[in-house]
Amino acid sequence: MTLSTAPVAKSAGADEPARPTPAPRGSGRAREWWLGAALVLPALALVVVFKLVPLIRGVITSLESSSGFDGGSFAGADNFIRMLDDPMVLTSFRNALLVVATLPFWVVIPLVLAVFIHQRAPGWRFFRAVYFVPYTIAPIVVGIMFRQILAPEGPINALLRGVGLEPLAIEWLNGRWSAIFSLVAVALWSFFGLGVMTYLAGLATIPDETLEAAYLDGAGFWRRLFSVVVPMLRPTVAYWSVLCASGVLIWLFPLIYALTQGGPGDATMMPEYLVFLTTFQFLDRGYGSAIGIALFVFVALLSVFSVRHMFKEGTRKPR
Amino acid sequence: MFRRSWAGIAAAGTALAALLSGCGGGDAASDGPVTLKVLTWEPGGTEYWKQVKTSFEAAHPDIKLEMQSVPFDKYPEVQGPYITSQSGPDVMANNAGLELFDRRGAYVPLGDKAAEINKDLVTYSGACEGFDTSKPCYGVPFSYQGNVLYYNKDVLRAAGLDPEKPPATWTEFGAACDAVTKAGKTCLALGLSGTFPAYWDFPEIARNYLTEDDIRGLLAGTLSWTDPKLVSVLEKLAEITTKGWTNKNAPSITMLPDGADIFQRGDAAFAGTIISDAVNWEAFGKALGDDKLGVTRWPAINPDAPLAQKFSGIEGAVYGVTKWSEKKNAGLKFISWLAGKENGELWVKHAKGQPLNKNVDPALLPSSPAFRKIQEFVAEPTLHAGVMLSGQETDALARGWQQVTLGQLTVDKWAEQMQQALERSPTKKQGN
Repeated sequence: MTLSTAPVAKSAGADEPARPTPAPRGSGRAREWWLGAALVLPALALVVVFKLVPLIRGVITSLESSSGFDGGSFAGADNFIRMLDDPMVLTSFRNALLVVATLPFWVVIPLVLAVFIHQRAPGWRFFRAVYFVPYTIAPIVVGIMFRQILAPEGPINALLRGVGLEPLAIEWLNGRWSAIFSLVAVALWSFFGLGVMTYLAGLATIPDETLEAAYLDGAGFWRRLFSVVVPMLRPTVAYWSVLCASGVLIWLFPLIYALTQGGPGDATMMPEYLVFLTTFQFLDRGYGSAIGIALFVFVALLSVFSVRHMFKEGTRKPR
Repeated sequence: MFRRSWAGIAAAGTALAALLSGCGGGDAASDGPVTLKVLTWEPGGTEYWKQVKTSFEAAHPDIKLEMQSVPFDKYPEVQGPYITSQSGPDVMANNAGLELFDRRGAYVPLGDKAAEINKDLVTYSGACEGFDTSKPCYGVPFSYQGNVLYYNKDVLRAAGLDPEKPPATWTEFGAACDAVTKAGKTCLALGLSGTFPAYWDFPEIARNYLTEDDIRGLLAGTLSWTDPKLVSVLEKLAEITTKGWTNKNAPSITMLPDGADIFQRGDAAFAGTIISDAVNWEAFGKALGDDKLGVTRWPAINPDAPLAQKFSGIEGAVYGVTKWSEKKNAGLKFISWLAGKENGELWVKHAKGQPLNKNVDPALLPSSPAFRKIQEFVAEPTLHAGVMLSGQETDALARGWQQVTLGQLTVDKWAEQMQQALERSPTKKQGN
């Protein structure tokens, strides 16, 4: 396939404004309006009931001061002001930023693996199936599994000792940095299969001839990846990036729950786990909701930035 | 806000109606047996609860029990949403003490019936507000719980120690730990994640520094964590881990099951756990052999302190009828049966636990040497400091101890964090 950069010849009358279709009149227009409304209504109702109402309810609760499970009283912005002075909240958002900083790994690793599979590397059929398997295991089960795997006498350390890497056989979940590193690594293991599948779907839209041409022109694997695949996969990469950027902040709960419970200390405390802890263990619903709303805003800001970027990429005309 | 007011009036009306009818409330089902949904973490084990279901249903053909069993360490997270949404089980449980008081809004107060239902129990004050039976009581306990220190006689012997004379003081305990560590074993199996440090370890150190009035002050939130007595408690807790007496991974594991596993495998000399339910003399006896299992009080730090030789005892799980239940009569029948002699004997036979019912046949009591020894300890009870802590304090105690162990926090800073946790505890805020 070739892409021409020559200007497209204007067809006769291309500058003329498109002739508007005659608008339906009277009862026809009303019927169309009702049909449109009927088609939109179910989706709208679902959004209102399952998204908007809980969100509004959350905002209202975040403005209340609660005492145990008894009713709350209006507290204005007290809960939000309190957050600014709560070291656990600040640490949880700092940890969230740390996790977001690992985003390049979430984006690049599945991409590289997907390209290998797409290029029919030896064993590609096997790996295509195997990579997706972790994603099909419930995250809570993944957490329980890795509690054993990462134990001081667990298989990872046994392997490291077996191959003479004894100094690397550390207590993975016992240190401030090793615990958060382990958490992110387990999460990546659990979710990268979805990324591989997403990229494979995107790669299927790239004509084989394009990659073959690059190969015949002498482009190596990395050159083909960065000069051909990535530019043509921009919308897919952007989509996966948005999903990961927001996902790493709200996907980790079952893993934290099963693996570290936010510890040791506050090393793996993330806002989503803190919301849960504050609401159900500390019985402080108002404050828990306030942290939840702050997390929502944090994720929304991050997503808006990414979606905006994705939209720009997606609508950019080929040069 | 307006809806909340109506919901509040409706809830108050329902509770009032329930009280007026003697905790009654018409059960919704009129045809066939009523099915009671019971939320439990199955204290005493699955076999005991099977027996409860069979025996109760046989005696009450008009009521069926539907058990929703949740692991102990996940229980608060499952129960919380039920309480928040005021829906779910008809009967549920909480640990006696602040955990129950914090959730009292979910239970129907038993009123005058409390004394009648619980008349054969050794104690039931842990089910009542402020440990005072003249105040509202919210349920029925049937087991007695508390902390002891189990030890593996073989490990002590291998370390050159006399298993018949376990360490009785803090100094002796330190010396024993040095000997055990030299012999290549862990001295004290410990897990610092979750609620276990607060419930199983903290009270045993606290007894050496606090009086019963101080412990009531903990419950009321009037005893500051920067008080020298509580700072001393934290210092001694820190000493346990910083002196290398425990397994190194203590900060990242839970005592149940991870810490208890270390002891059950025979890799540790001591384990500080409980007398009833799980990880007790029965479970450890099965794993190690009754003849190899010893039990003692936690070593005394200040042997002359008023509570140093006492037993931190507390009623076990308290079962109450939920406010939102439409089957309050059936729920009341069930919890009344739980307090009775029949269940007391099931508890002894199948859960091998410490019963609260005074009429349990003594011939049924286990013959295990560890169980017999425990009877000496429970004869001298005192208030259990652990169950006086709020969720915030429980969490801060565990996390602070983890950080102190890893060298990330000083004890003074830990005390400050505990005080902040106290001040953030909704039900301990002064004036509530």
